[in-house]
Amino acid sequence: MIKRDREFDNILNECLERLLVRDETIEQCLAGHPELADTLKPLLQTAAAAKKATNIEPRPEFRDRARYQFRSALQEVASKKSRPIFSWRFRWATAVTTVLILLLANGGMVAAAMGSMPDEPLYPVKLAVEQLQLNLTTSPLDKAKLYAELSDRRVTEIIHLAQEGKAGLAEVVTQRLDNQLAMIASLAITITRQEESRVLEGALPVPATDMDVKESQEFHQTGGGGDDLSQLLEQYAASHSADLNHALETAPEGVKPVLLQAIEVSLAGYEKALNALSE
Amino acid sequence: MQDEQSLVQRAQQLDQEAFTQLYERYFNKIYRYVALKIGNQAEAEDMTQQVFLKALQSISSYKWRDIPFSAWLYRIAHNQVVDYLRKKTRQPTMSLNESLAISESNPQQTAEHKLGIEQLLLATRRLTPAQQEVISLRFTGELPIAQVAKIMGKSEGAVKALQHSAIVALRKLLVVVYDDKKG
Repeated sequence: MIKRDREFDNILNECLERLLVRDETIEQCLAGHPELADTLKPLLQTAAAAKKATNIEPRPEFRDRARYQFRSALQEVASKKSRPIFSWRFRWATAVTTVLILLLANGGMVAAAMGSMPDEPLYPVKLAVEQLQLNLTTSPLDKAKLYAELSDRRVTEIIHLAQEGKAGLAEVVTQRLDNQLAMIASLAITITRQEESRVLEGALPVPATDMDVKESQEFHQTGGGGDDLSQLLEQYAASHSADLNHALETAPEGVKPVLLQAIEVSLAGYEKALNALSE
Repeated sequence: MQDEQSLVQRAQQLDQEAFTQLYERYFNKIYRYVALKIGNQAEAEDMTQQVFLKALQSISSYKWRDIPFSAWLYRIAHNQVVDYLRKKTRQPTMSLNESLAISESNPQQTAEHKLGIEQLLLATRRLTPAQQEVISLRFTGELPIAQVAKIMGKSEGAVKALQHSAIVALRKLLVVVYDDKKG
């Protein structure tokens, strides 16, 4: 009896897995176990109804707000951790030196990797080098510019994959593009806040040294760097939209949904970043 | 899973892109889990944010070999829910005083869906705590049975049996709740 119960639990679980995770129908599940159909059917119907009822989504405005707050918290924690610990810096310096040696020793390979596409063997090297560049870039403005450059590479890769008809890989890269654009938006908030506080500081009297005066003048002349970033993002927003739409015209039918998704991700991502910079 | 393990390792080094990817992967699921446990939108939103901030604070102490990342995250969410319910002087809100947002544009479908959630909430409250947990983790988190077992500290066989009894009970209760509503 116990053994039979266990067997039934296993069959029910297998059917639930197919129903809940693999989105198969109740009939498909029952077809595999016709002798248990009468017992299984009502249970699977209940499970399907419960799954449907639980299909709720967070409000979009809450999701956006929560995302920004989380990313701000993440940046804050990351910057706090990276500041005072000498031993961490020492380990980091060792790691960087090792990587630099590797890069110098295999310069040709790295150069080749930087032009590689996601369907090529050297692509992981490209991503590793990009990650290293990001780790070595500390200023939010420089990091945002670097992310913009990486986003440009992602769009080139998506178009390449679309031309090759590789929808699955194109989707993965589109997700990466979405994350990188989100990072720019998040960094843009930090940059705007930094600029605001520097403007407030600028309203206070007399910088302490000649160097402070020079830096302050440069900062105000250049608009603090945010304007440069805005221009760069506007250029990329326009060119990426044009390039992806052009690719859409000639792409195989199977990859068009991914290209449409990439267009949407690109438009929304740049809009958010530019809005954050203009606030 | 390999991909997730490498993401988690990078997140532990506070790699922002890796952590952001994990956040995006689990945000909706954790919100759903919390919302259906406490049945209040505003509280569920606050709590979902708390879960991820807690994860950010504690990620360095997480060890992959002990439990999968998703199980660890749900455990944080579970603890937050338990703390919340303990602090409440009365039982959690039974009715959805602030409707949970539903991704349907048709008002009739939305109304039916809201009724569905409400019935489910009412019915699940009458299950045992262990049955409630299995239903939440399997249906809102879509977690495999092995991970549910890890989170609940039970064997896979025990969780399968609980799952079975929970669905049987839920079926009976949903009929009762539906009849009550009609009456």
